[in-house]
Amino acid sequence: MLPVFRGLMWGVIGFLIGGGLTALIRGVLGLEPWVFGSVFLVGYLFGLAGWLLGVGVWDTWMREFLGLEPRPYQAEGWRRYFGFTTDHKVIGIQYGATFLGMFFLAGLLAMMMRIELMQPGRDIFNFAQYNRVMSLHGFLMVLVAVTAIPGMFGNYFVPLMIGAEDMAFPRMNALSFWIWPPAAILLLLSPFFGGWDSGWTGYPPLALTNDPGQMFYNLAFFTGGLSSVVGSINFLTTIITMRAPGMTWGRLPIFVWSIFMTSIMSLTATQFVGVAMLMTVLDRVANTAFFDPARGGYPLIYQHIFWFYSHPAVYVMMMPAWGIMLEVLAHFARKPLFAYKWAVAGFGGVTALSFAVWAHHMFTSGMPETLHVPFMATTESISVPTGLIFLSALGTLWQGKLRFKTPMLFALGGLFNFLIGGITGVFNSDLPADVHLHDTFWVVSHFHYTIVGGAIFGLFAGIYYWYPKMVGRMYSERLGRLHFWLMFIFFNLVFLPMAWLGLHGMNRRIGDYPPELGGVNAFVSISAFILGASFLIFLYNMVMAWARGPVAEANPWGARTLEWATSSPPPVHNFPAVPQVLSGPYDYGVPEAGVHAAVPVES
Amino acid sequence: MRRDVVLVGLLWVLATLVGEYVVSTLDIYPPKAALEAEHIDQAIRTLLMLAVPVFNFVVVVMLYSIWRFRARDEAEVGEPIYTHRTFTVGWLVVTSALAAVLFYNPGYVGWKFLKSNPTADLEIQVTAAQWHWHITYPDYGVSLKSRPIGFARIEENPVLALPAGKRVKFEVTSDDVIHSFWIPALRMKVDAVPGVVTTMYVTITETGSYEEDAVFRVQCAELCGTGHPRMTMPVVILEPEEFEDWIKQQQMQEAMGGSMEGMEKQGDGH
Ligand code: HEM
Ligand SMILES: [Cu+2]
Ligand SMILES: [Cu+2]
Repeated sequence: MLPVFRGLMWGVIGFLIGGGLTALIRGVLGLEPWVFGSVFLVGYLFGLAGWLLGVGVWDTWMREFLGLEPRPYQAEGWRRYFGFTTDHKVIGIQYGATFLGMFFLAGLLAMMMRIELMQPGRDIFNFAQYNRVMSLHGFLMVLVAVTAIPGMFGNYFVPLMIGAEDMAFPRMNALSFWIWPPAAILLLLSPFFGGWDSGWTGYPPLALTNDPGQMFYNLAFFTGGLSSVVGSINFLTTIITMRAPGMTWGRLPIFVWSIFMTSIMSLTATQFVGVAMLMTVLDRVANTAFFDPARGGYPLIYQHIFWFYSHPAVYVMMMPAWGIMLEVLAHFARKPLFAYKWAVAGFGGVTALSFAVWAHHMFTSGMPETLHVPFMATTESISVPTGLIFLSALGTLWQGKLRFKTPMLFALGGLFNFLIGGITGVFNSDLPADVHLHDTFWVVSHFHYTIVGGAIFGLFAGIYYWYPKMVGRMYSERLGRLHFWLMFIFFNLVFLPMAWLGLHGMNRRIGDYPPELGGVNAFVSISAFILGASFLIFLYNMVMAWARGPVAEANPWGARTLEWATSSPPPVHNFPAVPQVLSGPYDYGVPEAGVHAAVPVES
Repeated sequence: MRRDVVLVGLLWVLATLVGEYVVSTLDIYPPKAALEAEHIDQAIRTLLMLAVPVFNFVVVVMLYSIWRFRARDEAEVGEPIYTHRTFTVGWLVVTSALAAVLFYNPGYVGWKFLKSNPTADLEIQVTAAQWHWHITYPDYGVSLKSRPIGFARIEENPVLALPAGKRVKFEVTSDDVIHSFWIPALRMKVDAVPGVVTTMYVTITETGSYEEDAVFRVQCAELCGTGHPRMTMPVVILEPEEFEDWIKQQQMQEAMGGSMEGMEKQGDGH
């Protein structure tokens, strides 16, 4: 039996045992046995454990723990993707398939929202449904933005780029991926149990008094966070300990640096969102009152804990995308990455400051007024390390020899979009301006410019850049460019007018708005449909290339870094023997530098 | 190389002049009716003016490079420039200075202004609840309650009246979840948090009404559940004498008894 199926079976059994036990204990204690809250909570935790044991934890750690011979999953071909495989390349593709699936699903939800918002008044949804669609869209997209690049490209390319055979902890790597399906299942099932209507931020007290579907969000966030922590430990250990000889910190490709810094943030901040979720769930099912003012709780504490994670999380979304953009710019300009050390310092500065800005999400929340000015100061100072990314990017373009292939177009487009995202962010950080702009479509515009315009454009730059390496075939460059131009133009036509809408009094998270804003909203909706359609070109291009694209060479772009020094796709252990790194990854145009690394042929 | 730098510099100056002209004249702001609103619009305008040179610098360098530095054949490689000390240090100095400037003004100065004057001519108490605004004028014994009936029938809701030329203090709280009390024409909002009273001071300057522009409305700005988009009611800003008349009218209605109350309770939720 495929491990996924065994996992599912054990998961269901676990759920029944956990839920049943809870009901039983409640019955014995004289409480009403079948309440959704606690039965579902304990059922889910048992189900999660059952799933993980069934999918592979039993065969590996548990058997070892009990003194039995472990039975690592061995399979060939497509079966590798449906079990506890430890090859980092398989795991990268598992992440990629899962999160691109989620991306397209959440994209469909966005299309539905734009149908509703195309005209004022109520069209296809009632407000309860709209809020649920909006919440699911937002949360799925946040998970995609946080996870897709580290999950897919971090896992696939970090070991390759540093000349390692695999990640430091291959089994933990598999675990970090297989933690995700229960979260995904929760979210996919949530609409059938009423969904939840408190957005991706899940603020109590709303999150305490709304329908039980709320718990699907809390538990999914908690589960996903667990994976993030496990994954980041693995990245940090891999990058610190598994670099090939000669791969000094100063020769680390910038994408690897971005994953390194990102992992520091995920490892140290994610616990906070886990705690926020847990406290909400306990308030709901166990009669605690952390956030319930009626019983002595304080709802703003949730916002502090939530944003203590969720602000760093926006840089978790963005930083790997910066890494990809800089990587692509240097290779497609055939130039050393400009001010490499400053770019790394920029990552470091953003990482450090990202922990000290969270309350800029709470300027109108009624938090103590001693906090406003300091948080404005920290938020605005983050633009200095962020500026270093632009310094590096512009310096790299200057006097380069630019090749405008699809990945390069996405990197340039992403840089442009993020510029607007960063600038609109400064308005949000400005106290007087934010009093008006907070919780309006201005903010919607801002974070889509950063997340879609920056992080998702970076993701697509990465997809077009590394596709030939991962699949071993080449896509159509013409279709790639067509996709870029449609996506770039219509992205801007969707999200720039939203800033105007916010300024003119359109608040966010609403299924209806004043009739006079109808014209601009109709324009936004139509642009959004075209933006959505552009992804069909992408899908068609990828599927056709996968089925019968021309076979890709080992190094179709002529790039220097190590992932291009092995075959496309790479063999199981990446390199025939341990590579010897001899010079920097971006030493283009420096004859005395020679190759980046020597890869011995069969030793 | 020298030519490139000069050209980019010229293009940047040109684009920035045009950009500054556009953002300082362009009127993208909806009607406003408060001193605070003027300051907030001015903050946005100042930030736009600071943003123009930054935006233009990045875009001009990008576009210029795209036009000028394209590879003509596969073998060409760029100049091996690793870094440039003066440029890098200059960049750091300029970006830090910019951040400091905009922190001070419009940020710090603007915020000090918003918080500078805790006195008011009129006090209004606002209690939010799913999905009503309950407004009271404690000095006059007048109270209003909105129903979640949405924009198509918004004129059936009571109107929040404010006197022009007066400074108003709003005391905001909530009975259940978090809401946010926002009047776009005043550019001011503050969350309604259960168990907490938040305050908002606004100096009203001009008259206006919902019929004139939808920014003259109260809008809940924090997601509060199903009726969130409909947690809205019209705002009218009256000359002080008219405001007094309005108050008298309300007091009379209130004195006439509970017949209105019964009607309000029938709000049709969603
Ligand atoms: C220079 C960079 C940035 C600055 C100064 C900045 C500032 C801000 C501020 C002050 C807010 C709160 C606005 C409000 O709700 O009133 C905000 C919201 C947000 N920002 Fe940024 N930001 C920056 C970059 C980013 C990046 C890189 C991302 C993501 C990749 C991002 C994603 C978000 C999101 C998701 C929200 C909205 C959260 C919500 O309320 O649901 N921002 N930003
Ligand atoms: Cu933030
Ligand atoms: Cu609301």
